[in-house]
Amino acid sequence: MLEAVELTRHFNGVPAVAGVSFPLVNGRLTGLIGPNGAGKSTTLAMLAGTLPVSSGSIRYLGQDITAMPAYKRARRGLVRTFQLASEFKRLTVLENLLSAVPSQPGDSMRGALLGRRYWSAGEEQAIAEATTMLERFDLTKYANHYAGDLSGGQRRLVEIMRALMAAPTVLLLDEPMAGVHPHLAREIGHQLVALCEEGMTILMVEHELSIMDEFCDPVVVMAEGAVLAQGTMGELRNRSEVVEAYLVG
Amino acid sequence: MSLLLSSISFGLITAAVLSIAAVGFTLQFAVTDVLNLAFGAVMIVSAYVAYAINSLGVSVWVGVVAAAMTGAVVSLALNRGVYTPFKRRGISPIAMVIVALGMTLILEFGLQAIVGADSVSYRLNQGPNIGLGSFRFSLVQLVILSLALVIMTAVHALLRYSRLGKAMRATAANPSLARNSGIRTDQVVTVTWAISGALCGIAGSIFAIDAGSFGATSTDLFLVLILAAVFLGGPGQAYGAMLGAAIIGLSTEVGAAYITPAYKDVIAFVLLLGMLALRPTGLLGNRT
Amino acid sequence: MGHNAAIFYIITLLVYGGVDALACLGLSIQFGVAGVTNFGFIIFQAAGAYAAGVLSMPGDSANGGFQSYIAGLDLPFPLPWIGAAVVGGLLALPFTLLVGKRLRGDFAAVGLLVAAVMANLLVTNYRPLFNGSAGLSLVPAPLQDSFDPQSTGYQWGYCGAVILLAALVYYLLHRLTESPYGRTLRAMRDNDVVADSLGKNVLSLRLSMLVLGGAIAGLSGGILVGFINLWAPSGWGYAETVVLFAAVIIGGAGNHKGAILGAILVPLGFLEASRFIPPFGSPGLIPALQWVAIGLLIIGFIWFRPQGILPEKRRVNIGFVLPGPQRPERLPGSSTKVATLCRRCRVPPGPQPRLRGPGVRCFASTRVSPRFHPNTGTAR
Repeated sequence: MLEAVELTRHFNGVPAVAGVSFPLVNGRLTGLIGPNGAGKSTTLAMLAGTLPVSSGSIRYLGQDITAMPAYKRARRGLVRTFQLASEFKRLTVLENLLSAVPSQPGDSMRGALLGRRYWSAGEEQAIAEATTMLERFDLTKYANHYAGDLSGGQRRLVEIMRALMAAPTVLLLDEPMAGVHPHLAREIGHQLVALCEEGMTILMVEHELSIMDEFCDPVVVMAEGAVLAQGTMGELRNRSEVVEAYLVG
Repeated sequence: MSLLLSSISFGLITAAVLSIAAVGFTLQFAVTDVLNLAFGAVMIVSAYVAYAINSLGVSVWVGVVAAAMTGAVVSLALNRGVYTPFKRRGISPIAMVIVALGMTLILEFGLQAIVGADSVSYRLNQGPNIGLGSFRFSLVQLVILSLALVIMTAVHALLRYSRLGKAMRATAANPSLARNSGIRTDQVVTVTWAISGALCGIAGSIFAIDAGSFGATSTDLFLVLILAAVFLGGPGQAYGAMLGAAIIGLSTEVGAAYITPAYKDVIAFVLLLGMLALRPTGLLGNRT
Repeated sequence: MGHNAAIFYIITLLVYGGVDALACLGLSIQFGVAGVTNFGFIIFQAAGAYAAGVLSMPGDSANGGFQSYIAGLDLPFPLPWIGAAVVGGLLALPFTLLVGKRLRGDFAAVGLLVAAVMANLLVTNYRPLFNGSAGLSLVPAPLQDSFDPQSTGYQWGYCGAVILLAALVYYLLHRLTESPYGRTLRAMRDNDVVADSLGKNVLSLRLSMLVLGGAIAGLSGGILVGFINLWAPSGWGYAETVVLFAAVIIGGAGNHKGAILGAILVPLGFLEASRFIPPFGSPGLIPALQWVAIGLLIIGFIWFRPQGILPEKRRVNIGFVLPGPQRPERLPGSSTKVATLCRRCRVPPGPQPRLRGPGVRCFASTRVSPRFHPNTGTAR
């Protein structure tokens, strides 16, 4: 489905990521784990198109998308979230969700000028989807609140919901549990697993070993800009390099 | 001197004034991440202070020192009183630029309200003409050139060899890391604004001395040249500012010799827009 | 003032007000809604004025040939006004390079500012273009062959035309903003990197905004030049852009009514009011103080009331509970005044019954307290 091939990224001559390759397995929640500075977020950013690659390539649905800009990747179903809070602060929670819905007839200058009659059907459908999403994550009562007014954990949920509204085929999550209450983190984890069972492919960058353990399979371990190991959690636990990278880094 | 040589000599003078100003501007951007568009306004205010002192009969060069002090004080007040509170609020970089434009209006037109809209000029004895190789400069021009060279060397020494300089570079590169490493970033910012403010004042007074006549809004166009020099070299890069100043100063004056002089600043504008469009990090900046 | 002079003064105010309102509307959608900070905005208005001028004027050898300018096509109304809008829109295209994702917003804004200064310099010095620093004069008033431009009837008609056009543009912008497209623009304004990652083509959106704002600005210039019949570089420096930005910020960025209010208060009200202050001090003192005041207003508003007098409205959907009293921290600059998007569903103020269901299609209006705590839930 999605494959990184020898991805490399330099910052001022210093390689942050060098020769990273791994495939994303269809319909699974793949974890990308590693100590701070391992290059996980950089790799995710390259996969999503937010950061250009210095060398290497990315294949998605059989096509080389290395040169494709991020917005085009998103339109093809490759959607990402961000590590730092990135909700649209001056839009309501509902508007945040609606903004991600692709192919809206009202989402062009021409469509907007043609008026409500032209785009209201699409909008109603989007609102229906958003309603379902809000109910799924139990945030219905915040629909009309400015997204910037919510608590940290709630904003994280909004971001995940918004990414889901974009109808992703492959979802790239950048530390979705960071700074989130453990209980909520488990909730999110369960939701993600459920989504995989429904057919979504997810890559989750995470820091916490316990989260990886519980939800992710397979797992890719990175350290110092390269892939250290990949495999199922069971296989990896027995590899000494992995354990060392974690205790040391 | 031939046309080419005389235009190069003019270019060197422009580059000299520009380099002092551009280094000051870029240092402010480096440590505060704010494009201080009120820089030109502080320049001209300091220039007027120097001019006022000179009208009382004091030497022009003492006036330059006074301008340096004025520049330092006003810049410090600007950062402490305006930019820092807004930064703490968390306003966007764009809003900061708008605030800077607002300050420019207040400073420049406040000055104009006080001194009036007429231009003034220094009645300065330019001194004997001195030959330097194939070039001929007046004494005043040579002093300006030497001052610029001394200042550039001092800035270089400061950044490279002093603890303060290292602290400034660290704060510019990564403020939170610098703070966590024990650097008193607040103090570094204050000192940087004081130093760059002094540079601003010096540049303002020298600009006024070099210009035929000047008024409260004379630095508006000069600010664009400063921006061109800064962005050419790379915003936040002190050496880049020096390089940019040299390029802009020389290219505009030499260009003026061959195209209509009225358009000479257009060269700077085109270079600036080109850099922004193609390589926003500048010639010496890091490609991201 | 004599009766006629008073009438003409009022008409002049109205025409200027309409032109300023148009310009501010263009800036409102560009800057207020889409977050494109175009510090070169004034050159789009100037381009429109010059275009309308040289399209409507006879060839430059006319009137003794004392002016030098391009075109001179002697076109009848309304072609010069249409040309003004088209030229304003086209002028946006070269600026594509500045509004892509690669460039920080404040850098791009500075680039546009520099472009404005450069354009002024070029036009001032290259006389064959638009007659240099002297500018265009004897620009014909629209339909001046059929009507007497000095007559009261014509002047009122001009007034009416401007106000009509301003209302039309307001209506169109309202349509654009209160739609999914408007939402996309605001999302891009709030966080362009994220908008990009959600499938929005940021470059294309920004370019569209530059073109649209440019066309509106150009139209405003064309209208103005037909009224005052002259246009010179001294009238469109970067300072004029600052005045327009001040107007939009003070009136309320992100709210088109706020833009119109700002146009009335700042370029019109503020600068006209000084006409009535008895002159004191040296000549030039009052204009200088005006600029100081504008600077103070800009900074004051950004500090105390960044959302402006008429803030951007919260788009609320009545299918869900409206924001109630138990609210967390407020976002600086947010407002709680809420918009009416669907005139048919007038919802009375006060706590709403929960209306559920996917059939909900309107957004409703509720006035919640506009003070700094958006959570009081009490209606005015």
